[in-house]
Amino acid sequence: MIAAPEPNTVRRWCSRLARVLLLCMFGAIAHAADPAKSLRVTFMAAETGFDPVKTSDVYSGTVIEAIFEPLLTYDYLARPARLVPNTAESLPLVADTGRTYTLKLKKGIYFADDPAFKGKQRELTAEDYAYTIKRYLDPKNRSPYSFLFEGKIAGLDELAAQAKKSGRFDYDAKVPGLEVSDRYTLRIRLKQTDFNFSHVLAFSQVGAVAREVVEAYGDDINSHPVGTGAYRLKRYVRSSKIVLEANPRYRGRTWDFAAGDDPRDREIVAQMKGKQLPLIGTVEISIMEETQSRWLAFERGETDIEYQLWEVAPKYMTADGKLRPEFAKRGIKLDRSVDPEIIYMHFNTQEKIGDEPNPLGGFSKEKIALRRAIAMAYRIDDQLRIIRQGQAVKAEYPIPPGVAGHDPYYKSSIRYDPRTANALLDKFGYKKGPGGYRTQPDGKPLVLQFWSIPIERDRQFDEVMKRSLDAIGLRVEIRKERFAELIKLDKQCRLMMHNSAWIADYPDGDNFMQLLYGPNTGQSNSACYRSPEFDRMYEKSRMLPDGPARNKLYHDMTRLMEVHTVWILEDSRYRNVLLQPYVVGYKRHPVMHAEWMYVDLAAKRGN
Amino acid sequence: MFAYVIRRLWQMVPTLLGVVLLVFGLFNFVGGDPAYLLAGKISNPEQIENIRRQLGVDQPYYVQLWIFLKQIATGDFGVSWATNERVSAIFATRLGPSLTVLLPLLVIDTLLAMAAAMLVAYMRGSLTDRLVMIGCTVGQSVSILVYIIVLQYVLAYQLGWFPVQGWGNNLAENLFRFSLLPIIVGVVVSLAPDTRLYRSFFLDEINQDYVRTARAKGMGEGRVMWVHVLRNASIPIITNVMIQLPGLLAGAFLIERFFSIPGIGREVILAVERSDFPVIKAITIYVAIATMVINLLADLLYKAVDPRVQLK
Repeated sequence: MIAAPEPNTVRRWCSRLARVLLLCMFGAIAHAADPAKSLRVTFMAAETGFDPVKTSDVYSGTVIEAIFEPLLTYDYLARPARLVPNTAESLPLVADTGRTYTLKLKKGIYFADDPAFKGKQRELTAEDYAYTIKRYLDPKNRSPYSFLFEGKIAGLDELAAQAKKSGRFDYDAKVPGLEVSDRYTLRIRLKQTDFNFSHVLAFSQVGAVAREVVEAYGDDINSHPVGTGAYRLKRYVRSSKIVLEANPRYRGRTWDFAAGDDPRDREIVAQMKGKQLPLIGTVEISIMEETQSRWLAFERGETDIEYQLWEVAPKYMTADGKLRPEFAKRGIKLDRSVDPEIIYMHFNTQEKIGDEPNPLGGFSKEKIALRRAIAMAYRIDDQLRIIRQGQAVKAEYPIPPGVAGHDPYYKSSIRYDPRTANALLDKFGYKKGPGGYRTQPDGKPLVLQFWSIPIERDRQFDEVMKRSLDAIGLRVEIRKERFAELIKLDKQCRLMMHNSAWIADYPDGDNFMQLLYGPNTGQSNSACYRSPEFDRMYEKSRMLPDGPARNKLYHDMTRLMEVHTVWILEDSRYRNVLLQPYVVGYKRHPVMHAEWMYVDLAAKRGN
Repeated sequence: MFAYVIRRLWQMVPTLLGVVLLVFGLFNFVGGDPAYLLAGKISNPEQIENIRRQLGVDQPYYVQLWIFLKQIATGDFGVSWATNERVSAIFATRLGPSLTVLLPLLVIDTLLAMAAAMLVAYMRGSLTDRLVMIGCTVGQSVSILVYIIVLQYVLAYQLGWFPVQGWGNNLAENLFRFSLLPIIVGVVVSLAPDTRLYRSFFLDEINQDYVRTARAKGMGEGRVMWVHVLRNASIPIITNVMIQLPGLLAGAFLIERFFSIPGIGREVILAVERSDFPVIKAITIYVAIATMVINLLADLLYKAVDPRVQLK
C-alpha cells in the first residue's frame, strides 16, 4: 500500500522542485543577450578553421576568441592593454622568481552543449587547460603557435620528443610543468624565469578545449568549436558566412570597465556600465574580399561595423583623420587607433648570403656605414604620403603604441638625411663610378637586392626604395618572389633587404624585441642579427617584469640596433573602424579582435 | 558509334597524363613550399620538416606522383592542407552556388546572343547591324572588372534594386535575390563577344547556296532563318557553348568575390594563394576531365543535329 505523503513532505518537494526550476532557468539564461539583436560584420579574407591550435590567421582567431576562453584576458578599455582574470579567479600567483604560475579557476563555468558531452553539462576544469597546452606540442597538430610553449614548460618538450618517435602524443602522461593539483587549480612550472608568461595565458587562442570534443570530431575539429565563451557557432558556410549566437551556457558578466585617459572612454562607460554581457544575440560574419563590396554594404546599412577600408579612407575621412562632416551628420562614428604592429625593412647582417659575399652584411665600419646611409636615404615620408595615404604613423621604436614597453618619447637617431648619407658613403670609400653608381670600397661593383612579392602594393615600395637609393648613388636590383617562397628564403637568411611586418601576438614588448634576438635567426629574426651584447641584454630583459628596469634595457637594445643599423623602422598603420550610429560601446582593442561581446546595438532597423 | 566513343575515351588517358605531369611539375618546381606558409610566424627547421613529412612533400617525386595518380583513380584527393576540409566536401558545397549563377547566365546569354546575332545577320549592312557591331566592339573592350564595379554601384547601391552582395540559405532566395545582379553582370559581359561570334556563324550560313535555293523555291524568310539557317549555324554555336561548360567547374572568381558567392571560383583563388595543392590538383583534374568529356558529347551532339556528320 502506498501511503499519502505528509503535507510537510509535499511542501519540501515543491520547494525542491522550485529550486531546481530556478536553477535550470538561471543556469540556462545566465546572460542578457537579446536574440533579436544581430550584429553584422565582415572579414576581408576567408577563415581557415576554428581549432585554436591549428590556425594562425587573424580571422579564424577572431571567431576563436568569441567562442573559447583563455585563463586571463585584457581589460576592454585600459591602454596599454592590462591583464585581468577571465576564467581564473584572479591573476596568477607568480612564484619562484617567475618560474611557477599558479591559477585557480572559477567554479561553475560550463562548455556550450555539444553531442560530444552525451547530454551532460560539462564543467571547465584545470585539466582542460593542461590538455589545451599539451595540444600545442603534439606534432600531429603542427601548430603555428607551438612557439608559445616550446622550450618553456618543464617536461613538455620531452613528451613532444617521445611523440615524434612513437607517432602518438600521450595526453595521459604526467608533465611536471603542468600540475593539476585539484579540479580547479593549475600550476605551471617553467624551465626559466619568464615574467611575461601571463600574456601567453591571455592569448586568445589558448582558450580551453574539451578533450571529448577534440576526440569526437577528430580531423574535423576545425569546424566544431566548442568552448565556454560568450558565443557558439550556429551556422558555418566555409569561406562565406559564419553565424555565432550567444552561448546559453555562458556564465555572463557585468560590463564594469573603468574609463582611461581617452575622452571617448567616459561616453562608453556612461552607455555601458552595469549591463549584463553579452548583449547581442547573433553575430553574422560575411567574408567580403573586395573593398568596394564592403564599402557599399556598409553605406547601404547592410553591415554594422567595418574596419577594413584603407583604400577608400579619403571618402570618409579628412586628411587629419577626422570623419567627414556628411558622415558625422548621419551619426556614423569613427574609431581610430594605431595597430600594435611595426613595418620594418631588415638588412641581412650575415657576411654571406648562401655562398656569395653580402655587400652590406657584417659589422665592420664600412658595412655599418652602408646600412646607415641606406636608412638615412629612405624616403619614409613618401611611403606615408603616397603608399599609405596618411593611414600610418612613422615608427620610431621597435615596440609600437598600445604595447607594454612602448616609449612614446623615443626618437630614432637615424633621420632622413640624404646629404649626410652621401657624405658617409664618400668617407668610407664607396666611390661613384662612371654610371653614377657607387662601387664597394675595394672597387668591386656594388649591387644591392631588395626583395618583394609581385603585387601592386609591393611595386610601390620597390619604387620608393629605388628612388631613395638612386639619390645616394646605390644601385638596387628589385627581386621578385612568391610569398611562400619569400618566407622560405627569409628563414634561410637569403634575403639581402626585405620589408617585414610584425603584429603583436600579445601586447608585450618582448614579442617585438625577440625579433632581434640572435638565437631566433631562422625563425623570427629576419635580419639574422647576432650581437652578443644585444642578446645579453635581451636575456636579461626576459628575467624582468614590465617596468622601468626592463624599459631601460629595451631602450639600450634599440640604440644598439640603431648603432648597428639592422632595420629601417618604417611605420605602424592606423586602424579605422566605421560604426553605424546605433552601435554603442565600441572601442578597438590592441589585441582582442572580437569586441562584439562588449558592445550593444541601440534601437535600429527593426531590431 | 560505340567504337568511336571507346576510342575517344581511350585517347583521354594520355591527355590526362599530360595534365597530371604539367600540374605536378608546376607545383613542385615553380610553386612555393607550403610548409613555410603553414608553419606560422615563428617556426624552426624541425617544425618545417614535420609539416613537410605530414603533407608528404618530403617523399621522392615518383612516390608523390604515384599518390597523385592513385588519387585520380579513386577520386579521393584527401583534405585541404590549409583548412583540413575534405576536397570532396569543398566541391560538394561550392559547386552549387557557382552553378546557381553560371547555369542561368549561360542559358540566358546563349539565347540572347543567338537572337541578337540572327537579327543583325539578317539585317547585315543596315544601320542596326552597324550600331550593334560598334556596341559589341566597345562592350568587348571594357574589362569585366569595370562592369562589376559600375553595375554593383549603380544597380545595387544607388538604385537599391539588388543587394550589394550576399548569399542565403535556400535555392529560391539565392536564385531570385542574390544571383540576379551577378547574372546580369555576366550576361552583359558575355553578350557582346558572343553576339559578334554567332553573327559570323549565321552570316556563313546565310551566304550558302542552300539558303538561296530555299528562297528561290519561295520559302518564307521565317522558315529559312529559323529552320535552315539556325539549324546549320547551331553546330559552331554548340561548340562554343560546350567549350564554356568546363569553365562552370572553375566558377567565375571575380563575380564570386565581388558578390560574396561561396562558389568554386573563390575556392580556386584561395587554394592558389595558400599553395593548397590537394585542392589545386582536384580542380585541375576535374576541369581537364570535364573538358574532354564535354568535347566528346559535343561531337555526339553534332551528329544528332546534323545527320551528315560522320563520326570516325
